[in-house]
Amino acid sequence: MPNPITATLRPYWQYRDLVRNLVIKDLKVRYQGAALGFLWSLGNPLALILLYDFVFTHVFRSDLPHYILYLVIGVLHYNLFSQAIAQSCESLTSASGLIQKIYFPRILVPTSSLLFTLALWIIAILILVVLYPFLGGVYHWGLLLYPLALGLYIAFIWGIVLTFSVLQVEFRDLKHLVEIALMFGFWFTPIGYDINVLKPTTREIISLNPLTQFMDLFHALLYAGTLPALNHVIIACGWTIATVTVGMILFRCKARHLVEDL
Amino acid sequence: MPPAVIVENVSKEFILRHNRAMGLKTRFLALFHKSKRERREHFLALDNVSFTLEQGEALGLLGHNGSGKSTLMQIIAGILQPTKGRVITHGRVAPLIQLGVGFNPELTGYENIFLNASLYGFLNKDIRPKVKDIIEFSELENFIDTPLKHYSSGMQMRLGFAVAVHLQPDILLADEILAVGDQAFQEKCLAKIAEMRNKGMSLILVSHSQEQIEKFCNQYVRLDKGVMVEKGYVDRSTTTSELATLKTI
Repeated sequence: MPNPITATLRPYWQYRDLVRNLVIKDLKVRYQGAALGFLWSLGNPLALILLYDFVFTHVFRSDLPHYILYLVIGVLHYNLFSQAIAQSCESLTSASGLIQKIYFPRILVPTSSLLFTLALWIIAILILVVLYPFLGGVYHWGLLLYPLALGLYIAFIWGIVLTFSVLQVEFRDLKHLVEIALMFGFWFTPIGYDINVLKPTTREIISLNPLTQFMDLFHALLYAGTLPALNHVIIACGWTIATVTVGMILFRCKARHLVEDL
Repeated sequence: MPPAVIVENVSKEFILRHNRAMGLKTRFLALFHKSKRERREHFLALDNVSFTLEQGEALGLLGHNGSGKSTLMQIIAGILQPTKGRVITHGRVAPLIQLGVGFNPELTGYENIFLNASLYGFLNKDIRPKVKDIIEFSELENFIDTPLKHYSSGMQMRLGFAVAVHLQPDILLADEILAVGDQAFQEKCLAKIAEMRNKGMSLILVSHSQEQIEKFCNQYVRLDKGVMVEKGYVDRSTTTSELATLKTI
């Protein structure tokens, strides 16, 4: 039975192996010749966590119990965001060779760039899975909701990835601005500190950051062992709808004439 | 049977952007310096081109450099959008605007076959049964597990051509690609195209060579500065000369 949703998705579904092959290609090319291969995708987050653990336990004092667990959750999830966003900017411009030579749904280019980051990230999240009980994590039924929270987060990131990949074509400075913004973003998100220790006005500002809401979901589920507050879930959903809508509309308007501006 | 390709009053206008501001610095300087400001020039690459290609027929596109042949091919392939008019195609279009699109030098020839084919919208499982034929046709059996960066340019083109023709397209768009490899391989390619034509494939061939068009096509279109100046059939009935002659209608 033809229904409008499957009819819209069919042309994209047809190209599913393109996305797969592009992601595999990127993975193969990235660690080619490196002796430790895929293990390198563990190196970066692991080094970051050790560094921040040192800074936050010996330089600034934090009163949070099981502080490393709190930190690991934040750093890993922020890493997914920052790597996906930083890479997305150049996804379309660096694929100009493909886009100018053959037709395929353009949206697959930034999407496969996101999936590539995600594939590397899944290797990194294994650190958390292995260390979870040792760092003081609790197993509770709420953990089953984690995939949903992660899915929401990925959709949120996807919206931004689409937006930035299109804007980068027109506005080539974007990449550099984004790199700086991501550096600020780390400290404007409750990753190394607890939002409740902040002054009320600062807390208000930090709450405006959409990542704060997502971090709250992850911290509630994985760190505190509780369910996230409903208002945080609703705000996070709101942000996701917003970014995906903007990304989709922008892509629809621009995608057809993209090739002339590359 | 619907025609394979209908090109209906297609026009394409490009905007040439001189001094295009790509970054903040240029945008800022442009506020003060008139000479740094972006100038836009409109350029009509195609002007009201129309033709119909029936299924199983072959059409030759003739014209000088810059006459709009490649732009027209890109529009038929769906890469560019026409400014005016429309293009309707029936069947799977394989644009051979460049051979081996998406080939990655770090991957092996074997891996590149799958990457290239998936760009044409093929699933890996559909390609697996064809791989043997593709490798055999490309004559690269000994090199197929070597990274593509060690291939010569002729070898890469052979692989690209082998993939494209084994995807069984309904419409083949060939943009001066028939200069593949050495003489022997070139003849093999031409024979392959002729064989596919016999099976009912439609062909649009861009060429500078009138001789090649006379050999392969039964109709032709000549473009000059984006305008269709001539359109006609290749006349094979003439017995006086060995070559068929182009006959304008």
